[in-house]
Amino acid sequence: MMVSTDPMHQFQISRLLPIQAGGYDLSFTNSALFIAIAVFGIIGFLAFATSNLQTVPGRAQSLAEIWYKFVAGIVHDVNHDDGKPFIPLVFTLFSFILIANLLGMFPYFFTATSHVAVTFTMALFTIGLVVVIGVWKNGFKFLKIFTPSGVPLYILWFVVIIEIFSFLSRPLSLGMRLFANMLAGHVALKIFAGFIPTLAVGLPVIGVFMGGLLVLPLVVGITALECLVAFLQAYVFAILTCVYLNDALHPGH
Amino acid sequence: MSEDLNQRIADAQAKLDAQKQPSGIEAARGMGVGFKMGSDFIAAVIVGAGLGWGLDELFGWSPWGLIVCLLLGFITGVKNVVAAASQAARQTAENGSTGPRNQNPEAGQDKGDDA
Repeated sequence: MMVSTDPMHQFQISRLLPIQAGGYDLSFTNSALFIAIAVFGIIGFLAFATSNLQTVPGRAQSLAEIWYKFVAGIVHDVNHDDGKPFIPLVFTLFSFILIANLLGMFPYFFTATSHVAVTFTMALFTIGLVVVIGVWKNGFKFLKIFTPSGVPLYILWFVVIIEIFSFLSRPLSLGMRLFANMLAGHVALKIFAGFIPTLAVGLPVIGVFMGGLLVLPLVVGITALECLVAFLQAYVFAILTCVYLNDALHPGH
Repeated sequence: MSEDLNQRIADAQAKLDAQKQPSGIEAARGMGVGFKMGSDFIAAVIVGAGLGWGLDELFGWSPWGLIVCLLLGFITGVKNVVAAASQAARQTAENGSTGPRNQNPEAGQDKGDDA
């Protein structure tokens, strides 16, 4: 009765529906499955919640309203009224990350956001959008994000280099944080959970179950922490998207 | 007279606001700031190393591109963290002083949840 305790096993991609097209591997994987579950779950729930709108909202409608107002509040706090066109974008990013993270908390489910490919796609899309919006709205003035105001001329060239580095590090920071948090959290959870059967077998002196019982509260605590982190990372991603969009709308700090 | 009353209403409101501040979201914000600082620092160093290595490969400046860009990456990382920390400190200061004296709730950009 060997329980698999390999902490990285849960991140392995497996092909559920092998598809080869033009030399590319376009297989439908377990990652794609959980992305699809998250996307269609969100769309399905919101469609259901808003299908029968009432002045006094029911349970599903209140949840959808709270959800929307939370994201709209984030956007409004950071971007004020300029941010209105971006509420759907931030809502989409926040909802997808939140639901994908929370789906990953179920045993035997795959965490789509624990893969760099997924998180970096979102981060690059966000930063790409910032550049496009910035250039579209401000033209050449967008380059002012590299020149903070009030810097003396003789040190400006150096500050510009640092700002360029800082700008280049944004997509990396954005994508890496989400991926690293989900990966590290799930690995820690798996390792600590793996202690339970190991200790239950390995410490027969205290009793068969006692060793495992020592670790169990810790695992429960880490599970709760991971649920918090799942929400937190979606929140951080959303708020940073707003902050970067604010740079695009108003360059030059 | 009415000045005094307004002052007292403002004081009482500030006290109420301070009490009903949802601590969960507050804690989440703090943790978010922490995560942001850490990953911003590491990302800047990685970008520096990557850029330097790329320049070395491209132009054959062998060690110098990596050395210079890695140092610039470190500088950027420290600058990112200092900027994030000073912003967080400013927000905390603003939040702390929204009591009796300070009556401009619009001043805090990030914290304007007056709902």
